[in-house]
Amino acid sequence: MATDDLVIILTAGSLATACGLLGPFLVLRRQSLTSDAIGHAVLPGVVGMYLLTGSRSSLLATLGAAAFGLICVLGFDALRRTRLLGTDAAIALTFPALFSLGVLGISKFASGAHIDLDSTIYGEITFAPFRTMAIGGLDVPRPLLTTVLTAVLTLAFVLVLWRPLHALTFDPEFADVTGMRGRLVQRLALVASALVAVTAFDSVGAILVVTFFVVPAAAAHLVSNRLDTMLLVSVGIGWISAIVGQRAAVAYDSSIAGMIGLTAVCCFLLIRLFAPRRGVAWRLVRGRPARARGQPKNTSASA
Amino acid sequence: MNTAIALLPLPYPEAIVAMGSAVLGFVAGALAPFAVLRGRAMFGDAMSHGTLPGVVLAFLVVGMKDQGMLLAGAALFAIAAAALMIGLERAGRTAPDAAIGVTLSATFALGIVLLTRVGHSGNPEQSGLDAYLFGQAAGMVARDVWIALLLGGFALLAVVVFFRLLRSATFDPQFSAVAGVPTWTIDAASTALLVIAVVLGVRTVGAILMVALLVAPCVAARALTKRLATLVPISGLIGAFSGGAGAVLAGRAELPTGPVVVLLVTGLATAALLFAPRRGVLSRAWRRRTARLSHAEAWHGN
Repeated sequence: MATDDLVIILTAGSLATACGLLGPFLVLRRQSLTSDAIGHAVLPGVVGMYLLTGSRSSLLATLGAAAFGLICVLGFDALRRTRLLGTDAAIALTFPALFSLGVLGISKFASGAHIDLDSTIYGEITFAPFRTMAIGGLDVPRPLLTTVLTAVLTLAFVLVLWRPLHALTFDPEFADVTGMRGRLVQRLALVASALVAVTAFDSVGAILVVTFFVVPAAAAHLVSNRLDTMLLVSVGIGWISAIVGQRAAVAYDSSIAGMIGLTAVCCFLLIRLFAPRRGVAWRLVRGRPARARGQPKNTSASA
Repeated sequence: MNTAIALLPLPYPEAIVAMGSAVLGFVAGALAPFAVLRGRAMFGDAMSHGTLPGVVLAFLVVGMKDQGMLLAGAALFAIAAAALMIGLERAGRTAPDAAIGVTLSATFALGIVLLTRVGHSGNPEQSGLDAYLFGQAAGMVARDVWIALLLGGFALLAVVVFFRLLRSATFDPQFSAVAGVPTWTIDAASTALLVIAVVLGVRTVGAILMVALLVAPCVAARALTKRLATLVPISGLIGAFSGGAGAVLAGRAELPTGPVVVLLVTGLATAALLFAPRRGVLSRAWRRRTARLSHAEAWHGN
């Protein structure tokens, strides 16, 4: 395996770690699609920063992206509070408009520039090994550096706030009663997800954001009821997708981001079919009625 | 249709594009409320992403950009995406939002892998296939408009005929279940309507932005009226106006169609939410204020 391949796998893997640590909270609180919305909504931030400064520095692009991620979240929250439309409609109204702004910006002003649609939508993880920066005489690929840093920070975030996050996910009332500052922690978790989505957008492109956040976490939810197991399983699935997907893309000369996404979905479907107790195949063999078990716990977790 | 085109003060190709986009906008706007009002707005998002692999696969099979085959491929995969979402939800333990996220990832990843495959095949016809991501109204010809009129007219006729059934299923699923209508038929019917809206509309705004053309007209119409019988045509008209005007604007300014149409329709929805006569944000705030003032006056008067 060449060094470039290794860099791509490590970049995707560390991103999968960050997303896998936060994804289960989104899935359990039924906020999965906010990751999709943020992943799309950051585009005008990236484009705008480029148009303003004329350079595509990672830091500025990330700042612009973070600003629009925030606008997106605040926007759909404000829409939702008018009570004229549901949460999902509010999301569906916000992010396409922001994404459109980004596409218009690209097509009108920045055509032929470094940011083109292909690399922002399809993910430019293919180019990750070539975007290097010098640190202490060594050429380090910048996407790898940012994603590893993001993974470490996310891990620290989850470890430090483990108790309130855990309580908030399974028993929001208990979290309130014991004075865990429920709303603050919940907002922090959303902000953390938004920041991870922004880094992901910059280093691998928009489509893998929703894949890494939702698919491994949804699969992990089929395997376990325990939050810590869920986090481990979803990070594991993320790494498997990164490794198998990259190898498959090289073997079939195909899109790396696309192959990683397909691998993650295959993992999900395999678990859906063959997971012990909850898998479809298992239930067929045991002849248990489809919704006999596991359902009450599911509803309490989503309260 | 030809007389309508002759009446428009535009050169023939532009008139065709404006007409076509308006028809597609009307169909999407009028069919979507039955899904959006049931809390299935993002369902349409996953289905529109689902059309991408269908389009590319149809192209791979036929080897050329035959409009009918591409539409058939798109429809087939939109149905498959809907089936996957409903199946995951019914299997238990996967909430609707997670089911949508998984379907979105599956279809889009597949679409990108297939697109790269086509890109490597060296077939010169393949250029422009990725226009399905962002929409491309500019290439529309009279035949496309006829297809849209036919399919859309068929779906709208179905809505008129089964209106009472669809209405009770949208607002009161329990009632229609008790009244003896099997829930799966209603599910299938509203999904089929959404498939037609998505498959046709993707042509104007593209797979990624399609969800706006479904949701925004419905949101705007909802702010203006409570009755479904008026909401559906209003939503259709808003969609039609955004499609037609957006396509003409985009053509004049040499911008991509999809984003212009989406910004226009989102602007209309926001304006409706703010300024709607009775249910709008501003009029409600004004009513609260006058109520408070008159309350205060009555208090001081005593």
